[in-house]
Amino acid sequence: MSNCSTTGPGELAASFYADAARQHRVTITENVPLARDTWRVRFECPAIARTVVPGQFLMLRLPAGNDPLLARPLALYDTVLDAKGQPTGVDVAYLVVGKMTARLSELRAGDELDVWGPLGNGFAAEPVDHLVMVAGGIGQTPFLALGREYAGRRRYGNPPRSVVPAKAVTLCYGVRTVDYLAGEQDFAAAGVEVRVTSNDGSVGRQGLVTAEVDAVLDEAAAAGHSVRLVCCGPEPMMEAVAELAAARQVACQVSLETPMACGIGACFSCVVKVRQPEGDWDYKRTCVEGPVFDAEKIVW
Amino acid sequence: MTAAATDIDLSVPLGRLRLPNPVLVASGTFGYAREMAPFVDLARLGGILPKTVTRQPRQGNAPWRTIETPAGMLNSIGLDNDGVDAFAANHLPYLATVGCPIIVSIAGRDEAEFVEMAAMLGEQPGVAAIELNISCPNVSGGIDFGTNASSCESLVKACRSATPAPILAKLTPNVTSIAEVAKGAEAGGADAISLINTVQGMAIDWRRRRPMLGNVIGGLSGPAIKPIALRCVYQVAQAVKTPLVGIGGIATIDDVMEFLVAGASAVQLGTVNFYNPTAAATVLDALPKALADVDATCVADVVGTLQISPRD
Repeated sequence: MSNCSTTGPGELAASFYADAARQHRVTITENVPLARDTWRVRFECPAIARTVVPGQFLMLRLPAGNDPLLARPLALYDTVLDAKGQPTGVDVAYLVVGKMTARLSELRAGDELDVWGPLGNGFAAEPVDHLVMVAGGIGQTPFLALGREYAGRRRYGNPPRSVVPAKAVTLCYGVRTVDYLAGEQDFAAAGVEVRVTSNDGSVGRQGLVTAEVDAVLDEAAAAGHSVRLVCCGPEPMMEAVAELAAARQVACQVSLETPMACGIGACFSCVVKVRQPEGDWDYKRTCVEGPVFDAEKIVW
Repeated sequence: MTAAATDIDLSVPLGRLRLPNPVLVASGTFGYAREMAPFVDLARLGGILPKTVTRQPRQGNAPWRTIETPAGMLNSIGLDNDGVDAFAANHLPYLATVGCPIIVSIAGRDEAEFVEMAAMLGEQPGVAAIELNISCPNVSGGIDFGTNASSCESLVKACRSATPAPILAKLTPNVTSIAEVAKGAEAGGADAISLINTVQGMAIDWRRRRPMLGNVIGGLSGPAIKPIALRCVYQVAQAVKTPLVGIGGIATIDDVMEFLVAGASAVQLGTVNFYNPTAAATVLDALPKALADVDATCVADVVGTLQISPRD
């Protein structure tokens, strides 16, 4: 387990990344729709379920054939516990956007997948009074496990990482229309307060999710609560939330989605512009230096 | 009588370089090896080619840098790397410990940069050989050496005299006659010729009227280009005596055997490392039996054994 202890500058900064990652052939136990074009696939994989932490991702590939060829990076939705309370299964939620995800949605219990992970760095585990999670569309997927962790309901990682339960955990969740609203009950059951906004007003407050974030931050300030933001969704939304966080001097992490070929740092496809200590920027790999970054470090 | 799989000699000579087996991993598809260590026992590999290094740091091309195409992928990474000094300081010390031959891939903007890097790297502990990347389609400069036989010859000769390390020349298929360029590499004294680099290609989002890649044009790799690579290996094997290293869509043991029969003495697995990170180990597991199945006792027994004859 020493391969990543000799990292050079800027290489594999996530200390718990990679050495725990393995490739597995797994069997699907469930593949169910959550909302329009939105699915949740569940498979047994104790090795990943025991070690994964919120914000990390997995690569999923269809085992047979060469088209689609590449795996897709998909965030952990949550772990699944067995009868003894041990994490043995993994849930991944996904939006059908292309050939691979369309084929994935056609798979059923008993079908197999090639999976490697857990990958990437995951969200910080620092204590805070009020964790505010901001999601746009399918960007809600990395937040179920994180919300459950901060609500004090489950621990993640091996050894399990310690998170001081927050006094409040809120998901500000922006969707296009009500039919894309996915997993609201999952969040509620995990101890997360869900506040929905929609583009057309078909569910929740009509308008942008940032307005809801402003309202939650005002309430937290009135209660004297310390706050951290985490955000995942379309890039313009994340940029807006990052600006809002900077203006209100609230710590903010974003989870980025970029096209990846390998997910493990080999291909150098998934780069984003990350601010360097000297003030300029450099391309950094989302897969090994992210996917979670401090918002202030991203050059949008 | 079929040879026992355990008795087969897997070692492969490539000019002055001797490899423990013919299964290598291609530059640009294996990071700096450290990234792949959780998936493959690196010490088993016939050789590792880390991501190409350049004299100066290069930021690489703007995203998107890869896009999937049917049975393949396009990339335009643009030789994103921290430069040869940082490579020697940050990556070589680790690579020197992994226990298999390290063949460093270099790309210069001109002959002087190639020669300087070859001389510098050839003296570093842990460097078994140097591969000249004269075929990257995503940067200007280096590819010129891979499209012209006489400049290829001149470059290989200059690098050979600059370092005692064995020299491989990696060729591009984006030429009229790859065999002509290969003859230049041979005349220059290359210990081996690697082929092929990616095939130039393009993908378009017609609704937005935009290219999918940030760099507009990229290089196609993966199973889609395997027939092109096999054809190139076959043609070059007819034209030169220099050992060949086959590259292009190799993913399975059958692919490996096809390249050996076509005339390659060794192979590099490339894009498959992205979509099946344990592929090199799987192929290595299967190699002795595949050789035994055709009564080979060493790799050379199958290299270039393609039979061209009228069908019965």
